[in-house]
Amino acid sequence: MELPYYPINDFGPVMKGLVIGGLGIFHVFLAQFAIGGGMLMCYFQWLAAERRHALARQFVSSYFQYLVLFSFVLGALTGVAMWFTTIQLSPRTIGLMVDQFHWIWATEWTFFVVEVVSGYAFYRYSAQLDDRSRMRLLQFYTVAAWGSLFWINGILSWQLTPGTWSIEQPQLWGGFFNASFWPSLLFRTVSSMATAALVACVVINTMPNASRDQRKELINKTANFMIPMVLMPLLGAWYLAVFPDDSRSWVLGGSPAMSLFMGITIGASLLIGCYALIGLFFQKLYINGATATLLCALAFGATAGAEFVREGVRKPYTIRNTLLSNSITPQEVAHLRQIGSVTNDPYPLRGAEQLPTEQLRLGARVYRFQCSICHTPSGVNGLTHLTGSWNGEQKRLMIAQLQMTKPFMPPFAGNAEELEALVQYLEWLSADRPPQWPTRHDPQILQQINEWLIEAGTATAVDKAAGRGPAE
Amino acid sequence: MDRIFPTGFPLPTAFYLTVYMITLVIHVLFMNYVLAGSAFVAVSSLFRPKAIGPQLPGTINGVLRDWLPFALGMTITAGVAPLLFVQILYKKSYYTANLLLFHRWMSILPVLILGFYLLYLIKRIRFNQWSLGRRRLVVIGAFLCFGFTAYSWTENHLLSLESTTTWTDLYAREQMHYFHPVLIPRLLLWALGSVPTMLLGVAWQLWFYQRRIGPIQVRPLQISWLALVGIILSLICGGIYYGLVDDATRQQFTQPLTSTYLLLALVGLGLQFGGWALQAASTKLQQRWLILASIGLLITLLCMTVVRESARLVRIDITSLYEQHAQLYKTGGFFLFLAFFLLMVLVVAWIIFLIRRNLRVLAHHQP
Repeated sequence: MELPYYPINDFGPVMKGLVIGGLGIFHVFLAQFAIGGGMLMCYFQWLAAERRHALARQFVSSYFQYLVLFSFVLGALTGVAMWFTTIQLSPRTIGLMVDQFHWIWATEWTFFVVEVVSGYAFYRYSAQLDDRSRMRLLQFYTVAAWGSLFWINGILSWQLTPGTWSIEQPQLWGGFFNASFWPSLLFRTVSSMATAALVACVVINTMPNASRDQRKELINKTANFMIPMVLMPLLGAWYLAVFPDDSRSWVLGGSPAMSLFMGITIGASLLIGCYALIGLFFQKLYINGATATLLCALAFGATAGAEFVREGVRKPYTIRNTLLSNSITPQEVAHLRQIGSVTNDPYPLRGAEQLPTEQLRLGARVYRFQCSICHTPSGVNGLTHLTGSWNGEQKRLMIAQLQMTKPFMPPFAGNAEELEALVQYLEWLSADRPPQWPTRHDPQILQQINEWLIEAGTATAVDKAAGRGPAE
Repeated sequence: MDRIFPTGFPLPTAFYLTVYMITLVIHVLFMNYVLAGSAFVAVSSLFRPKAIGPQLPGTINGVLRDWLPFALGMTITAGVAPLLFVQILYKKSYYTANLLLFHRWMSILPVLILGFYLLYLIKRIRFNQWSLGRRRLVVIGAFLCFGFTAYSWTENHLLSLESTTTWTDLYAREQMHYFHPVLIPRLLLWALGSVPTMLLGVAWQLWFYQRRIGPIQVRPLQISWLALVGIILSLICGGIYYGLVDDATRQQFTQPLTSTYLLLALVGLGLQFGGWALQAASTKLQQRWLILASIGLLITLLCMTVVRESARLVRIDITSLYEQHAQLYKTGGFFLFLAFFLLMVLVVAWIIFLIRRNLRVLAHHQP
């Protein structure tokens, strides 16, 4: 069993998950704007062609400028950035995803090409085109944009619910059309429509030569795109229902952070929905630029909460049942318990001279390999904060039986010496990194750690609950 | 490797290598346009301030300023495909180089975003009202963004070819940059080679302009000379690069795997040279000479991509990856991709047809 070791970078006090999460939220929001925007423009182009609104054509041109400036540039590049950042965080995760779905990704790429070509063709030539051709281009653009969501949605939802796919029997379509595929796709489609409508309210308020009444009429038209939001509770419930049991339990109170973010998503969506209902359908309120921007910010908040939940509920896996969140496979855990997790790691420890003993250096390498993907020493989600109040014995027990301490944690994947070294490293960090530190090699302690490790086994809490037993 | 590419590899590896190279060539076509195009506008701004004044249709600068944002959009989009297949082919070395360069590598993303917006600024009508200094700053800034990206890619590629010892050493030193003696000649070889590609693209655009709208504002002789200089300079850089590479790589260039393609690349260069030289003698842009140069360019790019890959294979033991490629080859979805790829070609062709038809109708109705 050969484990690929990669150089692991230190993100300082910033948790790595925050980097990919922040970027992901931004990218998803832009992508939703592009997808819903295409649909919205088709609708307004239809209004223009049917002469149902005098400013519909002007609106399409204004909106498309924003779409090109934000979505084409930032959307495209943050998409590439997602790839690069995932490599920085977990090359094994992205590697496995690429391995399994490269042709799906390649298919998505053909949709990107159509999206860019039709989008630029519209941006450049729309003023010289007849209504039918304009509509054709917008339709191509919309289908391509939504199509790219269709393909990537299958890959992302597979990470949480891999369906009939497994590493031993990698059934592509069984994994792609997994349990959360349709609820996720439909939920994202409705979100995209709502996002596009809110951005449209901002754009309408920036349109020159439009009177307040004309703007109001246009805003009311965009309200039609908010109607599908009534389906959100239903789709959300469906999505939640297909979550694995443990993931669902964390959202529903098991993990305060997860429940809180879920609450933010629901709350922000509800506020947008209420505003849309009162302001747009009952036409009691006029949505000016500032309010529209605030609503967009709320939509961003809703997206952020939903993405955080989507990422978080996968724990302790990054690809369910296949790859743990620290990029070790369940099968490798037992092997690493035997040989040690960093024994074959060729990458030296940076700043090793600052650590007074060899044991601490080993502990730091174990931390780097197994913990640094989600934790920092003393920054965000810092281990000194999380374990600072535990005494040495508690630390040994909690880490040895990590998956039982917290069910969303992966099992410890190293030997007793490594675990003791990690404990010493954490104690040294908590003691504010003194220049002298004793080395602990107590055979009794190591024996105790070994017993705890054996008792905990190598299966995750999720696997144990599912009766799958230790991974071999 | 004593057999000509792709016959010397097992089918899965040969297949992924071929797909990778084809998609890379598509990416390179657009990339060359952006890199050389932004350089051209930047250099023009220093010597001919008019070049960054009001946009003149039918000129090289006019075409470039108009089309560079689209070309960049296509470069990035087209770049996704080879990025995908390079991960399939050389996962560990590619990921390791990315990780070692860390922030330095990731910085190409904000830099590209900046470059993208600068290109949009250049396209704006209000850009002409800015002071010359500000306009120069924008066009030179845009070029520097793409130049930096090209440098970073070359650096990343060369680092990915290194051994674990070099990687661990670099990691220990926390050095987020990597320099190799061949880096600059290699970068220059590709950068100067991008000039004829860009000029050919612009020449075709001007040829359409000449055919549909009217006489162009640039002498074909000027375009031809620039392209010929680009070809000669890239050949010189190629020679320097050849002199600097290690013996194993140099030896690889004489093996059948590479030598045939190297020879064909030279034939392609010859065709380009001939096309441009014949074009230089004409007062108008001639379709036949542009076709000749285009065939030459395509042969050169395809063959040089094989040569580039063969140099990588000297440093990476691809035989150890055969089994992995064979495993991935069994993954489904290829025919789905193929079907959508063909559909994509049809849709893009249809879009071009749609635009042309509309423009023709419009021209017909205009007095």
